[in-house]
Amino acid sequence: MSFIKRAVLYCIRQRFKTAILFLTLTIIATFLLTGIAIRDAADGATADVRSSIGGKIMLEPDTEGNMGGGVQNQWGTVYGYTGDLITPDIVAAISRVDGVVDYNSEDTAAYYGAGVDFNYLPAAFNLSYTPYGEASSYTATLSSEKCAAFQSGKYKLTAGRHITPDDRQACLISKELADYNGLAVGNSVNMYSLDTDDVTKFKIVGIFDGTEGTSGNALTVDEIPANCGYIDYSSMFELFGNELTGYQQLTIYVDDPTGVQSVYDRIATLPELKGKTLKLSIDTEEYDGVSSPLEPVQKSVNIMIAIIVAVSAVILALLLTIRVRSRKTEIGILLSVGISRANIILQLFAEAVLTAVISFSAAVPLSIFTAEKAGNFLTSASLDVKINAEYLLPVSLIGLLLIALAVTVSSWTVVRSSPRDILTKTS
Amino acid sequence: MNILEARNIAYSYDGKRAVLKNVSIGFETGKIYAILGPSGCGKTTLLSLLGGLDSPTDGQILFNGVDIAKKGLAFHRKNNVAFIFQNYNLIDYMTPVENAALTSKQPSLPFLERLGLTREESRRNVLRLSGGQQQRVAIARALASDASVILADEPTGNLDEDTAEEIADILKECVRQADKCVIIVTHSGDVAKRADETLWLKRGEIYRG
Repeated sequence: MSFIKRAVLYCIRQRFKTAILFLTLTIIATFLLTGIAIRDAADGATADVRSSIGGKIMLEPDTEGNMGGGVQNQWGTVYGYTGDLITPDIVAAISRVDGVVDYNSEDTAAYYGAGVDFNYLPAAFNLSYTPYGEASSYTATLSSEKCAAFQSGKYKLTAGRHITPDDRQACLISKELADYNGLAVGNSVNMYSLDTDDVTKFKIVGIFDGTEGTSGNALTVDEIPANCGYIDYSSMFELFGNELTGYQQLTIYVDDPTGVQSVYDRIATLPELKGKTLKLSIDTEEYDGVSSPLEPVQKSVNIMIAIIVAVSAVILALLLTIRVRSRKTEIGILLSVGISRANIILQLFAEAVLTAVISFSAAVPLSIFTAEKAGNFLTSASLDVKINAEYLLPVSLIGLLLIALAVTVSSWTVVRSSPRDILTKTS
Repeated sequence: MNILEARNIAYSYDGKRAVLKNVSIGFETGKIYAILGPSGCGKTTLLSLLGGLDSPTDGQILFNGVDIAKKGLAFHRKNNVAFIFQNYNLIDYMTPVENAALTSKQPSLPFLERLGLTREESRRNVLRLSGGQQQRVAIARALASDASVILADEPTGNLDEDTAEEIADILKECVRQADKCVIIVTHSGDVAKRADETLWLKRGEIYRG
């Protein structure tokens, strides 16, 4: 009788013992499949985050050692940056670098404008330090879509479009301010700047919301978020031509974060930047912020898989040791009728493998359910946990290895004994 | 011509307590041998050595003139000898048919039927058979294995008197029909009476009766 036939007979006839092994292997396989599925889902989610966020490179003036000797005036010694600035020529050169998909410079409260033909939402104190009343602040930007408030989702564009690098005298205002003054996209507003002592006409290219309910008890007009808007950077150069010759900083967007370093290298070698006191750095803050909740999941799942494998090996070895010990007489009989030790070990292995095949089949639907539950339990981030057919191969290989190890360890001492010793002791 | 021969064999536990001392004895085909002796005298040990269940401390076991150690004890157990044990030693999750077919390629049912088991009994779990029926299954396994030598260790020890006599007759019949050599370790006088030769084991030495 072949070892396979003996194994099949054992599995069929010893149903209770087979059921125990079946349950153990099913649990092990379910844990393994679940672990692998969660790990892959976390990897996939991280990759998705990478591609959705993209990479960012920052270009800033290097203030270290470039703040000059200081100028004495009536207020004391004033230090100012004396190094190179990020000029529109540099920005234009960077925009042509392969891999750069967008760029932005965002200068908060760069422009203060008083409404010549419109009114701001009132604050507790209405100061009239300009001929047109109180001024509110505007963020100068090359690309308003990339500004922090829009990127974080705090503000959302509800009408019109965003400010782009090609815009001239364009602005974005809040929906609250637009409603307060009956303004719409396409209208123009005149603003007076105390700094330039001039009135400038801005066209409303977009209206955003997200400021509602954030005003609180504002003391001044510019403390009300709804009164603050965005203007294009070109207008800033036109308005402050003599004083403003460059951008405060430039954020450069790269399509693939994995390629950030190569884009960085290409920018760093631009002749426009050569010898300039400008600092180039890779910004991973946003990516880290989004992907960091997934990192503990990846780590804990890897640890979990390692623990499952180790614990499974121990449990299987113990379970099979108990099985083998309870079958000493049978092993003695098989040895006494001339069946070789290898053949007996093969039978024990075949029994476990036969049970494992059924267990793994049962573990697949079970792990689809547990993977989803475990994925939700481990992280608040949404993970698309799926059991793929390709997982069965590594799980089967790990399972076979564990079974082979456990069968060898558990049967070693018994099978090595002389059949006479076994039969004498068991009888 | 001896089919099986013990030549100057000795056996001791842990190299201290000698159980067998320089035992030499030959066994021929077509004969039943009964080995008798007091408990603990080494009868089962001698049978185990003849069957390749263990190796002698000294000396040789020859099968058809060739040392069984040359081809390996497992080969000897599989091809040359078959055991019948006092406690039957059947595999509990198999039927009589499957137990008898454990090492045989020939159909085992005819052997079981010849030994008095019905077809229905032959397909039951062995644990649901009586002691006498289980011993018949063990004999069928030995016969189906096609071994030339059957080694029986107190095969009637667990059976009542009538069944014991029946089993002894079956073994004798097997020898006649299949031309085998049967060596029986026994305490039973009735079984010994059916043997062609009686051997006595005393103080580790063997004597012909």
